[in-house]
Amino acid sequence: MMSNKTMLRTMLLGATIIAGTAGVTALAQVPPADQPPGSGNATVAPGTPTPPTDAFSPPSPNAPQAPGVNAANIPDGPPAEPSEATPMVDQVTASPAHDDWPGYARDDRATRYSPLDQITPSNVSHLKRAFIYHTGSKPGPGQVNKWAAETTPIKVGDGLYMCSALNDMMRIDPATGKEVWHFHANEKYESIPYTAACKAVVYYTSSTVPEGEHCHHRILEATLDERLIEVDSEDGKVCEGFGWHGMVNLMKGMGESVPGFVAETAPPPIVNGAIITNQEILDGQRRWAPSGVIRGYDAETGRFLWAWDVNRPHEHGEPKEGEHYSRGTPNSWAAMIGDNALGLVYVPTGNSAADYYSAMRSPEENKVSSAVVAIDVKTGEPRWVFQTVHKDVWDYDIGSQPTLMDFTKPDGSSVPALIMPTKRGQTFVLDRRTGEPVLPVEERPAPSPGMVPGDTRAPTQPWSVGMPRLGFAPLKESDMWGMSPIDQLYCRLKYRRAHYVGEFTPPSIDKPWLEYPGYNGGSDWGSVAYDEKTGILIANWNNTPMYDQLVSRKKADKLGLMPVDDPNYKPGGGGAEGAGAMAETPYGIVVSPFWDEYTGMMCNRPPYGMITAIDMHTQKVLWQHPLGSARANGPFGLPTHLPLTIGTPNNGGPVITAGGLIFVAATTDNMIHAFDIHTGREVWNDVLPGGGQATPMTYEYKGKQYVAIMAGGHHFMMTPVTDDLVVYALDNVN
Amino acid sequence: MSAFMKPHDAAGWATLLLAVIIILLGLPLVYMGAELAFLGGSLYYVACGLVVTAAGVLMAMGRPLGGLLYLGACAFTWLWALWEVGLDGWGLLPRVFGPTLLAVGVALCLPVLRRADHARATTVREVA
Repeated sequence: MMSNKTMLRTMLLGATIIAGTAGVTALAQVPPADQPPGSGNATVAPGTPTPPTDAFSPPSPNAPQAPGVNAANIPDGPPAEPSEATPMVDQVTASPAHDDWPGYARDDRATRYSPLDQITPSNVSHLKRAFIYHTGSKPGPGQVNKWAAETTPIKVGDGLYMCSALNDMMRIDPATGKEVWHFHANEKYESIPYTAACKAVVYYTSSTVPEGEHCHHRILEATLDERLIEVDSEDGKVCEGFGWHGMVNLMKGMGESVPGFVAETAPPPIVNGAIITNQEILDGQRRWAPSGVIRGYDAETGRFLWAWDVNRPHEHGEPKEGEHYSRGTPNSWAAMIGDNALGLVYVPTGNSAADYYSAMRSPEENKVSSAVVAIDVKTGEPRWVFQTVHKDVWDYDIGSQPTLMDFTKPDGSSVPALIMPTKRGQTFVLDRRTGEPVLPVEERPAPSPGMVPGDTRAPTQPWSVGMPRLGFAPLKESDMWGMSPIDQLYCRLKYRRAHYVGEFTPPSIDKPWLEYPGYNGGSDWGSVAYDEKTGILIANWNNTPMYDQLVSRKKADKLGLMPVDDPNYKPGGGGAEGAGAMAETPYGIVVSPFWDEYTGMMCNRPPYGMITAIDMHTQKVLWQHPLGSARANGPFGLPTHLPLTIGTPNNGGPVITAGGLIFVAATTDNMIHAFDIHTGREVWNDVLPGGGQATPMTYEYKGKQYVAIMAGGHHFMMTPVTDDLVVYALDNVN
Repeated sequence: MSAFMKPHDAAGWATLLLAVIIILLGLPLVYMGAELAFLGGSLYYVACGLVVTAAGVLMAMGRPLGGLLYLGACAFTWLWALWEVGLDGWGLLPRVFGPTLLAVGVALCLPVLRRADHARATTVREVA
C-alpha cells in the first residue's frame, strides 16, 4: 500500500513537472492540512460505534483553571445576579460624523459604507501610500506562525485607534501615522487560539464621567486571553472605574480551560449600555469544550449583567461557586451587531463543540446552532431564533456580521431588516423584530439519514430562494482541474473516491466526503457592505470545497490527534480547522482542502473567490466576477507573477464609498483593489507588503480622504505576515 | 538488434527523450484512468493513456506511426475537451495545453522518425 502510494506520488509529481513546466498556469494556493485516510478507514462495523476510548483522559470541567488562563489574575469575586446596565448616552456610531469611521463596520448598522467622495473612479489612479504604521506584533523567532491580525482601525475626530494582533491598543495621528499612545496588553503567545487576531476596538462615550475628565471617551477591546479592557481615548491609560483596574475577567465561570482554548477576536458591541461578549472556542477539540455562553457587562463599570447559556436556558446569573457555564454549547465568534431601539443584540452562532458529530447535542443546542439569535440586552433572554443550518456537521458556523437595513416591500411598506450572509452562500434577509424571513426561505430536502450510526441528519435545510446565491452549482467530475491531464485525472479520482451527493453530503467514515461549499464560505468574517442610498449590496466570497473524513477513535489516536488541553498537545499541531481529536465523541475528524496535495492546487476549477453586487430593491445581481489575481500563487506554492484575474480565496470584507468605489483587499494575491461600483471594473490596485486579510476603512482628516488597510497577512491563507497598517491618500490633494 | 532507435545526432536524442516523456505521461493515465473508469468516471483517460503509451513506445522504436498516433490522440483530445467544457479557457487549459505543446514537439520529430524508418528499411534491405 505504502509503496503503491509512493510510486503514485513519484509518477504524479514527475509527470506534472514535465507537463507543467511550460504551462501558463496560475493557481490559487490553499493551506496545507492532513489528508483524509481514504478507504479502509471503516474499522467499525455499522451500528457499533467505538466507545470513546480517548487515549488521554480529560480533566474534570470543575477542575480549577490553570494559571495563565485568567491572564490578568483578576479576582473572581462572588457570583453575580442579573442586573441592568447604566443608561447609555448616544454613541458616535449612531450617526457617524461625515469624516469618521467610528466603528468596526463604521456604524450601528454595520454598513461598511462611507459618505466620503474625494476619491472617485476618475482620480483613484492618484492614490498613493501616505504612511505605514507598524503595530509591533508579529511572530517572534521560534514561534509557530499563528498570526492574522484581521484589524480594521476606527477613526473618531483627531484619532485613529486600533489594536495589534496581540491586543495592544494604540492611537495614531490620522495624517502622519505617528503614534500618540500605546497600551501594552502584555499578552502571552500561549493565549493565541487558532489565530492571533483583533478585528477592532470599540469607541465608547461615558454617561457618568463628565466631558473633559479622564475616561469620558474610552477605547474598549476584548482580548485573546479573555479580558475586557477600557482605556481613556486621550492618554491610553486604563479606566479605573471599569472592572478591576480597567479590566474584566471573561474566564470567570468558564470552568476548566487552558490558554488559547477560549478567546475574543471580534469587537464587542455596546447596546443600550451593555457590552455583549461572545467567544471563539477552538474547534475540533472535545465535546465538552468550554461554554459558548453570551454575556452582557455594564459598559460604564464592567459589572456582570446577564448570561445566555444554552443548556441553562432560564438562569441568567453567573454559575454558583464550583459550577460553570454549560460546556460544549454552540460558540459564536463573529462580530455581532445590535439595535438600540429594539433593545436587541443579534448573535450569529456557530456549532456545538465537536463540529462534525451531532449525536451528543441537546435539543436546546440543536435549536440555536448555526443561527441568528436575537437576545434582549436587558435580560439576556432570547427573543427570536432563525436557523441557517439544521444539525450542522459541516462547520457552517456563521462567520459574518449581520448588516441592518430598511427593506422596502413591494407594497411600499418598510421593514426593519437584517441581512445574514452565511458560509453556505445563502444570504438570509429577516425582519429584525421577529426573525421572520422578509424574502422567501424554503425548506428543501437534504440527504438524510446520513452515514454515521446513531447520528441522523436533518431531512430538510433552509434555502434563501429570494436572494441570489453566492455560490455555484454542485461539482461534477468534469469540474476537476489541474495543470495537465495527469493532475486533473488525479483530482477526478479524488472526486470519485469520495461520497458526494451535492450540498449537505453527510459525514462518512468509510471514505472521505466532499464538503461544498467549504467551511471558508461563501461568506466568512469579511461580511458584506451595503449602500442604503442606492440599495447596492457588495459581497466577496469563496469557492473552496473541502475533503473531510471521520476517523475512528483508535485511528485518531494513531494520527496523534489530541485536544489543546492535553498535556502532550503541541501548538500549531492538530489545531482547529484542520484535523481535530473531537475527544469525548466516538470519532476524530480529518479536514483538508479539496486539492491536489502534490501540487498544492485546488481540485476544482477556478474561480476560488468572487465579488458580487446585488441590487437589494430587485434582488438581482448587477455584476459578478472573479476576485484576485494569480500573481502571488501557483503550483508548488510558487508565485506565477501573472496578472491574470483567476479569483483567489479571500478573507476580509469590502467597503463602499459615496465616491462610487469599492475597496477590498482580502485576496491571496496580497493586493488591495478598487472597483467602480456601477460597472464592477477594477480601477486601481496596489501590492501590499503582506496579505491584506482584513477589511479596509476610509476616513477624511483635514480635507484629505484616506484609505487604510491592515496588511497583517494570514497564516492559514499562507500570505506574508507583517505588522503594517498601510494608509493611502491622493497625491494631488494637499 | 535492439527494437529501439539508436540516435546519432541531437535531433535523434531529442526524439528519443520525447518518446520517453510520452511513455511516462501515458502510464499514469492508464494506471489512474483505469481506476477512474472502474469508479464510474470518464473512460477518456484510460483509453487515451493506452494510445499515448503505445505512441511513445512506437516513437522510441523509431516508427513514424508512433508520432502520427500521438497527433491523432491529441486531435481526439481536442474534440473530447470541446465536448466536455466547450470554449471555456480555464476548462481547456489542463485538458489540451500540455498535450498540444507535446504535439508540436512530436510534429517536429516526424522527419527524424521518417529518417529512422527509412534507415531501418535500408538496413533490412541490405541484410536481405
